[in-house]
Amino acid sequence: MSAIGAINPALKLAPAGSIGGVGAGNAAGGVQGAAGGKPFKDFMLDALQEVNTMQADADQAVHQLVTGGDVNPAEVLTAVQKADMSFRMMMQIRNKLVEAYQEVSQIRI
Amino acid sequence: MNSALDISTSALVAQRVRLDAIAGNMANMSSMVRDENGQMQPYQAKFVVFETDETLATSSGAAGVKVSSVETDEVEPLYRYQPYHPHAIQSGPKTGYVAYPNINMSAEFVDALVATRAYEANVGVLEISKAMGQQTLRILG
Repeated sequence: MSAIGAINPALKLAPAGSIGGVGAGNAAGGVQGAAGGKPFKDFMLDALQEVNTMQADADQAVHQLVTGGDVNPAEVLTAVQKADMSFRMMMQIRNKLVEAYQEVSQIRI
Repeated sequence: MNSALDISTSALVAQRVRLDAIAGNMANMSSMVRDENGQMQPYQAKFVVFETDETLATSSGAAGVKVSSVETDEVEPLYRYQPYHPHAIQSGPKTGYVAYPNINMSAEFVDALVATRAYEANVGVLEISKAMGQQTLRILG
C-alpha cells in the first residue's frame, strides 16, 4: 500500500480499515460508508450512471461519424474504447459483488 | 488510464491537422489566392505549430498536445514568364512574369511522412494503454 502511495503521491489511498465501514458498531442504520461517506450502493449506482453516460456519448459520436458529421475518427474511436473499458470494469465489479452475495447466501443457519 | 488515452488521442488529432495542412499545400501548389484588394496572389504554404495542452495535464506532468496556430510560410514566389497569362505582372522589373506558389515538395513529403509516423507511434501508445487497462481488470477477475 505505501509503495503505491510513493509512486503517486497525489493518489491518497485510504488505509484498508476505513474502506469498508460495514463492520461492527454500525448497527444503527443499514450499510453506511466510511466516515460519513456514501454507502457502497450509491457508489455502484454513480459508477453505473457514469458508464451509461460514456456509452451514450460514444453512441452519439459514432452516429455523428457515420452520418458524415465533422468529427475526428480518432476521437470517436477513443470514446468507444473508453466506454468499453469502463463497462468491462463495471462488469468485473458486478461479478465480484454477485460472487460475494452467493458466498453469503450459502451460509447455513 | 483514461488520461493516457486522452493524451494519445490529442496527438492523433494534432497530427491529423498537420496532415490536412500538408494536403492543402500540395493541392494548391499552382493556386492563386485573391487578397483583400481583389488582387491575385500566389498561394503560400501553411504549416501548423503545436503546443502542450495543459487542460489534459495529469498530476505526473504529462500533457496533451494541441494546435497552437497555423502559420503562413513567407517565401519568395516562383516567377515564370507568361506574358499572356491573365495574372501576369503588368509593370515594374518583373513585367510579363506570373508569380506562382513556391511549395517545397520534398519538405512537404518529409513532413507528411513524419506526421504519419507520429500518428503510428501514438496509435501504438494507445494500444499499450488499452492493453494495460485490460490487464488491470484481471486483478478482480
